[in-house]
Amino acid sequence: MAKQIKRRKRKTKKSSHFQPPSTTEKRHKWILLSAIIVCIAIAGLFWMKYFSGPDEKSQKTKLRIDSTTGPDISVLTDEEKIAALKTEQMQLAQQLLRDFPGSDATVALVGSVYEQHGNNIEAVKFFNKALELNPNRADVYSALGWIAFMKEEYEEAITLRRRALEIDANLPGLRSAIASAMMMVGRHTEAIEQLEQNVQFFPKSVHSHFLLGQAYLQQKDYENAKKHYKRAIELDKNHVNAYYGLFTACSRLKQQDEASEYQAIFKNLKAEERKGLKDRKVAFDDAIEMQKAVAETYMHAGKMYQDQGKPEKAQDLMERAVALEQKNTLYLMELASSYGMSNRMTEALEVHKTISEIEPQNPVCFLNIGVISAQLKRFEDAEEALLTVIKLAPKESSGYRLLAQLYLEAQRNLPKTRELAEKALAFEATAFNYFLLGWACDVNGDTADAFSALKRAVELDPKNPKYQQMLMYIKEKELIK
Amino acid sequence: MTPVYFKNFKTEFKQLIIVFLMMLYACVYTHANSSIVFRDVTEETGITFKHTDGSSGKRYIVESVSAGLALFDYDRDGDEDIYFLNGAALKGAKYVSAPKNALYRNGGGWKFTDVTEKAGVGDTGFGLGVAAGDYDNDGDPDLYINNYGPNVLYRNNGDGTFTDVTKRAGVANGHKVGAAAFFLDMDKDGDLDLFVANYLDFTYQNHLMRTSKGIPKYAGPMDYPPMPNDLFRNNGDGTFTNVSKESGVADHKGWGMGGVCADYDNDGDTDVYIANDVAGNFLFENDGTGKFKEVGLVTGLAYDLQGNEHGSMGIDCGDYDNDGKLDFYQTCYSKELATLFRNLGDNLFEDVTMLTGAGAGTLPHVTWGNSFVDFDNDGHRDIFIACGHLQDNVELYNDKETTFAQNVILKNTGDGKFVNVSEDSGDGMKAKLRSRGAAFDDMDNDGDIDVVILNSRGGPTILRNDSPSKGHWVQVRLRGVRTNHDGVGARVKVVAGDLTLIDEVHSGRGYQSHYGMRLHFGLGGRKKVDRIEVRWIGGEVEIFQNISANRLVTITEGTGRTE
Repeated sequence: MAKQIKRRKRKTKKSSHFQPPSTTEKRHKWILLSAIIVCIAIAGLFWMKYFSGPDEKSQKTKLRIDSTTGPDISVLTDEEKIAALKTEQMQLAQQLLRDFPGSDATVALVGSVYEQHGNNIEAVKFFNKALELNPNRADVYSALGWIAFMKEEYEEAITLRRRALEIDANLPGLRSAIASAMMMVGRHTEAIEQLEQNVQFFPKSVHSHFLLGQAYLQQKDYENAKKHYKRAIELDKNHVNAYYGLFTACSRLKQQDEASEYQAIFKNLKAEERKGLKDRKVAFDDAIEMQKAVAETYMHAGKMYQDQGKPEKAQDLMERAVALEQKNTLYLMELASSYGMSNRMTEALEVHKTISEIEPQNPVCFLNIGVISAQLKRFEDAEEALLTVIKLAPKESSGYRLLAQLYLEAQRNLPKTRELAEKALAFEATAFNYFLLGWACDVNGDTADAFSALKRAVELDPKNPKYQQMLMYIKEKELIK
Repeated sequence: MTPVYFKNFKTEFKQLIIVFLMMLYACVYTHANSSIVFRDVTEETGITFKHTDGSSGKRYIVESVSAGLALFDYDRDGDEDIYFLNGAALKGAKYVSAPKNALYRNGGGWKFTDVTEKAGVGDTGFGLGVAAGDYDNDGDPDLYINNYGPNVLYRNNGDGTFTDVTKRAGVANGHKVGAAAFFLDMDKDGDLDLFVANYLDFTYQNHLMRTSKGIPKYAGPMDYPPMPNDLFRNNGDGTFTNVSKESGVADHKGWGMGGVCADYDNDGDTDVYIANDVAGNFLFENDGTGKFKEVGLVTGLAYDLQGNEHGSMGIDCGDYDNDGKLDFYQTCYSKELATLFRNLGDNLFEDVTMLTGAGAGTLPHVTWGNSFVDFDNDGHRDIFIACGHLQDNVELYNDKETTFAQNVILKNTGDGKFVNVSEDSGDGMKAKLRSRGAAFDDMDNDGDIDVVILNSRGGPTILRNDSPSKGHWVQVRLRGVRTNHDGVGARVKVVAGDLTLIDEVHSGRGYQSHYGMRLHFGLGGRKKVDRIEVRWIGGEVEIFQNISANRLVTITEGTGRTE
């Protein structure tokens, strides 16, 4: 009897406020919850795709550029940074040697990396190897010539530089470099011959005129010395050393008034030069210089892969270059160009935007932004960029042309298109600009002017089918009228 | 029986071998020995001095530019003694005993004895430059040491000892980074005044270190403010007055290093030419009364041919082309040619380095002590250049340059050109060290000039001149009476047949060093001297005739005779 009572007491009491759900009800709740989660996810994706602004996209791209394959050197001391960069640069060089065996360009690049590191012994080995692979490398002969010069092997320097000249007579600075080596060993007459020849090829070579002044001065031909120093300052009015030469030549010619004048200018320019030199010394940052050098190697390497049809690898390397030298707009342009060639237009656009932040007065980057935004159907972005082009370069045709084209293609702001097209035409009377004008006139109801413009377009470019088609269309319209 | 032809063959073969060996010997001998030969006799001398730069790894700039040395006959026994400057512990460096300067007495026969303690000249300051001169005209040379820190004037007591009279003389010159020092009679009043070059305004607080490709290296002079130089007028009573301002010298700030006092314009007074490190050199033209005008630019001595300043280190003067005008030679940093300035007359100079080959061997090196010396007595002054990098690890970031370097000897060919004969001038030129000051005198009184070099962070190099084919020579020592006792500033002209040579007595020259108060003239094949003219500074001109060669001639002012 007691046990039974106990059993009865164990039974759970049922509350009047709580009713446990049935199995079916539970299932419905789970389904509902899942549906809600899915909806939220879809909404989020939808929002990110269509409503997230360019800043977020560029942030993504920037993050992509920053977090490239290289190590994070920002946390290192300067010494550690430089050591890490040197290692990275050498590793890249080794990788290039593996990926491009037998390539003289690669071998020469590795040689220049060693030269940058001050290891001229290895540099010379690689330069010589590059010449074995391709004896027509004038730049390599020139580099070897420089090393020989600094080791006082002047005859060798002359020979190497002459070899470079035989390969590429237009390589700038070679004849001057040969002449410099000749003067080091007192062969001034020959040096003058070299330099006189050089100014025939390069009449605006400041350095050649300066060296001629120097050579003539040493030969005591003060009139010719003066003539060439003067030419140097005509070409470069701030050439400090040419003023020194002029002061010296005039002193020798006993032209004291002129000598004093040139002396005064020399002193002022020298003072400025020294100030600039001191500022540069103070500002010199070894780590940053190393970063620049490594960035350059990455950029060269990137172009090698680009040329070999490996754009992804090329872009990886270029991104690293840009990460190391973030304000180098040349590198950014190369990267954007590479993206463009791979049809990675969004990335290309972000890079151009970065350039525009660095060079806000440069119309070219805004032009690129406009063109790419238009391709990506981002009308407002394209319009804003092209308006900026017009503002920055009001006398250039391109801004007006592209904006007119944008409006016409998007069928927006049509009343403005005629004026834009006319302005484009005023600055550049090309067939395309006539075509645009014709199109603009047509959409604004002026068929007659449209016809005239298109007729001109066809005259200028008779083989363009688009112009022909448009002209026919306008003709028919006129006839119907 | 031996066949006849075989006997003949043996004889002829032996003869051939002998001829071959003779030719081989001639080739080897000729190759190993140009007309200038130096033998390294350091080990034989007993000199144990070791230079220390006081470094502690912090790369304080003063470490890299230490130091000069002096050759002078402190005890007037007829041979040149050696005084080496030493560094001192800089912040962070510790030594068991403080490094000090060292005086070695020349005992003859290339034996030297350390007499530093006895003489009382073991200054423990951070030595940079030194000059010797009899500032009190009591008949023996005194010493002035230009330090990083207070400078020191040691008065020679005449008994083998010196007394530190700096305070009394008033020439401590504060706490500056010194460089060269010179005694000169700037106002021609018969006593020696003192020109003190200053390098730069360095303190531990403004110290900085640079790197190249991540490798630590010494900062350069432009990282520190420039300093004016100091000029002290001798009051004639053992004291000096600082006349830097009124003389015009203090108007110009630079990074002074070596230099030389010489009558560049041959107007009878002593001018001062100071090398500036990474700035135009200063030429202070004396108006004869101790007022100076800086004329480096207008004379062509401030910059090289192109108008570029050098990292100038040392300067010496001599008439390399025997045209009766003093020329100058300036050493400098690497990637720059040590520069020969030829005196054109009319107070103008021209950089003729490339035309003459006088920069050969110097481009990859940092060059320091130097001099125009006729080492082979052929009548033409050659050039010796001490080399050694300023940086102690340069190979790590530029293997075109080396920390340790061979010195350079350029032989004067007699037609206005120089040839680098370093490789063929004996074992004395083979050593690769980090040389700084170099001094040149006839250390063994055998009629040719020897070389003593101070090497940074090491022992010195003593080179005995063993040049084989020597010409005749004459040495001239001056004793002033109305002018200063050592004849400092006097100009001497020696005429021997068709050869005319000039020189001046200098106190302080080259790279922050002192040497050569006994003037040496090589005469080539000329066996006698027709005439010696002495133009005493601020005094008369005396002429002496028909002097035999190959001897030391002592000329005392006003006596009219030679000894």
